[in-house]
Order: sequence, then C-alpha cells, then structure tokens
Amino acid sequence: MEILKQIGIDGKLLLAQGVNFLVLLFLLHRFAYKPMLEFLEKRSAKIEEGLKNAEEATKRLDDATRNEEKILSDAREEARKIVNETRESSEKRGRELVAEFEKKAGQIVEEARERATEEREKLFREAKEEIADLVIATTEKVIRERLDSGNDRQVVSRFLADK
Amino acid sequence: MANGSLFLFVQTGEPVFADMEISIIAEPLFSIAGFTVTNSLFLAVVVSILGLSAVFLSVRPKRFTSVPKGAQNVIEAIFEGLLSFMENITQDHKQAIQFFPLVATIFLFVLFSNWSGLLPGAGTIGIHEMHDGKAMFIPIMRSPSADLNMTVALSLISVFSVQFFGILALGLRGYASKFFVAPWKAPYVVGTAVGLLELVGEGAKVLSFSFRLFGNVFAGEVLLTVMLSLVPYLVPLPFLIMELFVGLVQAGIFSLLTIVFLKMATATHEAH
Repeated sequence: MEILKQIGIDGKLLLAQGVNFLVLLFLLHRFAYKPMLEFLEKRSAKIEEGLKNAEEATKRLDDATRNEEKILSDAREEARKIVNETRESSEKRGRELVAEFEKKAGQIVEEARERATEEREKLFREAKEEIADLVIATTEKVIRERLDSGNDRQVVSRFLADK
Repeated sequence: MANGSLFLFVQTGEPVFADMEISIIAEPLFSIAGFTVTNSLFLAVVVSILGLSAVFLSVRPKRFTSVPKGAQNVIEAIFEGLLSFMENITQDHKQAIQFFPLVATIFLFVLFSNWSGLLPGAGTIGIHEMHDGKAMFIPIMRSPSADLNMTVALSLISVFSVQFFGILALGLRGYASKFFVAPWKAPYVVGTAVGLLELVGEGAKVLSFSFRLFGNVFAGEVLLTVMLSLVPYLVPLPFLIMELFVGLVQAGIFSLLTIVFLKMATATHEAH
C-alpha cells in the first residue's frame, strides 16, 4: 500500500476520476450516441428499403417489357396465320369456282351442240321429205304423161333411198 | 523521487537548477469539504464539461435531416467511421453498437485528456504555495492522463466492462469456463494452467493499460518541460507535434485494446 501512495494512487481520487468518466459515459450515451446511432440506423434502413423498392420496380418494368414483347410477337404470329389461312381458303374457293364454271360452260356447250345436231337432223329430215314431195310432184308432172300412176311413186322413192 | 527537483547538465558540465518541479503525483489544488481536488482531477472535469458541451452543441439528431448538410456531414462521418471501424474488429453489427458507447467515450476522453496537457499554460501557469514548509509551484492544469488515478480508474472500468460483457454474452458458467478448466478434461492440466494464467492476465491488463497511458503522457510532459527550459523557441515545436501524435496513438491504443478484449471475452472458447 505504501507503494501505491508513493506513485500517487489515492482511493478518493481514483473514485472521483472513475465517477467523472462514468458520468461522461452516461451523458454521452443517453444524449449523443443513442439518438445518433438510432438516427443513422433508421436512415440506412430507409435507404436499404428504397434501394430494394427500386430494384423491384426495375424488375417489374423488365417483366412488363418482356410481356409486351411476347404479346406483340404473339399478335404478329396470329395475324400472319389469319392472313395465310384467308389466302389459302380464298385460293381454294377461286379454284373451285373456276372448276365449277368450266364444268357449267362445258355442259352448256355440249347442250348447244346436241341441240344444233338435233335441229340439223330435223331440218335434214324435213328437207328430205319436202324434196321427196317436190321431186315426186315434179316427176309426176313430168312423167304423168308417160307412166302409170301406180308404180312411179315407188320408183322415185327407191331412187332417193339409193342415192 | 516523488517531489524531486530536476537537475539539468548543460554543456559546461555545471549543474543548472531549472526552476521546475516534475512530480509524478498530481498536485493538490484546493479542497472541498475535506476532499482534496488535484490539478489533474480539475482538468479531467473541465475536459469532460467542455467535451460534453461541444458534443451536445454539434450532435443533434432531432434537428438532423435525412439528407446531410454542412456540419451534419462531419458528425455523421465521425460516427460512421468509428462504427465501421468497430464492425471491422467485431465482425458483428450488433456487438459494434453494444460496445460503441464505452469505446467511443474512452477514445474521446483519453484523446482530449492527452491533448489538454499540451495546451499553453498547462504545467506552466500555477501558484506558489508553501507545502510542508517548502515552497512549491503548483500548476493549475495537469493532463488527467499524467495522473495514475485517472489511468487506473479508466483501466479498471475497461477491464470490468470486459468481464461484464463476457458474462452477458456467455453466461456466468460459460465465461468462468475460460479460466477454470478441470484438470481431468480435454487439454488436462495444461488447460487448467492456461486458464489460471488467463485469469492473472486479466489483472495484468489493468496494470498494462494504466501504466502504458500514464507512462507515455507523463514522459511526454517531462520531455516538453525539459526542451522548453533548454531552448524556449522553435526547438520544442517538433516535440510538441510528436506529443500530439503520441496522444492520438495512445487514445487509439486504449480504445482499440478495449474493443479487442471485449471481442475476445464475448467469443466462445472454441472460437479463439
């Protein structure tokens, strides 16, 4: 204990210095460190939250852009498909129509030809009969004087049939 | 030795009595109700009051804005610098905040205590007084760090805080198991011996803390006094700058060691 006294250590002074420091510590802690650290903590939490929000917003924007692109490309694809389908079906319809018309035209032509043939034959037949009558009449007129009226008609008919 | 006068020998070889008394004991200034106030205690209280006023005038979180401006930047830089330094050592944000008040206060108080002894007038402005029938010169201001009472008190607070936080973190049993290892367990007798050595080491911390700080600051004051009495102008200037640096370094060492000891005390046995 003598040595402590020689180097100046004194219980009361030691205590006083300790109390001085502890009071300083308490006051600084209560009125400076604690509010200040809380302030800094609160703000860094806020900043962190802000950054997180910004990140999320960016992510959402990216998602939206990607979505938009996807929708656009889908729509383009759909439009192309519709156009292609329409073109195909119209081409098909056109071909069908052409084929139908061709068929119809063919029929009409055929009919017309048949009728023409018929008409001609009929005309031909009528002409034959008329010519036969005319020939008979003429021949009759010519030959009346010389031939018997019994056989001449048969003779002329035979001539005509032989040709 | 305690109150001896210092004799200096200049080149002539003749002893020159320098009119200065360098005592390792803080001199009593006055007494209040039987309690003797020394110049060192006096300056400790003055430094505390001035420091508190400065802090209260500058650190006002209620008035601070989210976007720092002007002086707020400086205050924030100091706080965040100290805090991130402690986080580097503890590797733990919560612990850094837990230790912050003690370590920061030690740093600031020791720093300004050390520097207060370098103020013009410290150790030179004083009163002549008759003491034990002898004429004595008593400086009004003496650096609190140049008084063992202050350094021992601070070391005790630091070391007791280390024990306190150690027990708080590990529990009484867990913390005690660092020092008391049963001789029939894992590292056997070696563990027991090391544990007891660590216990002695805790006591030695008080000594090393207090004498390191006291020795450095007191030596600095002696050096400056001697230099001033030899060559009063310009020559002591580099030494004054060096003492400013020493004061900063000692404050740093005291607080750094405190936080390192705190970290070691709160770490589990296996971890360190």
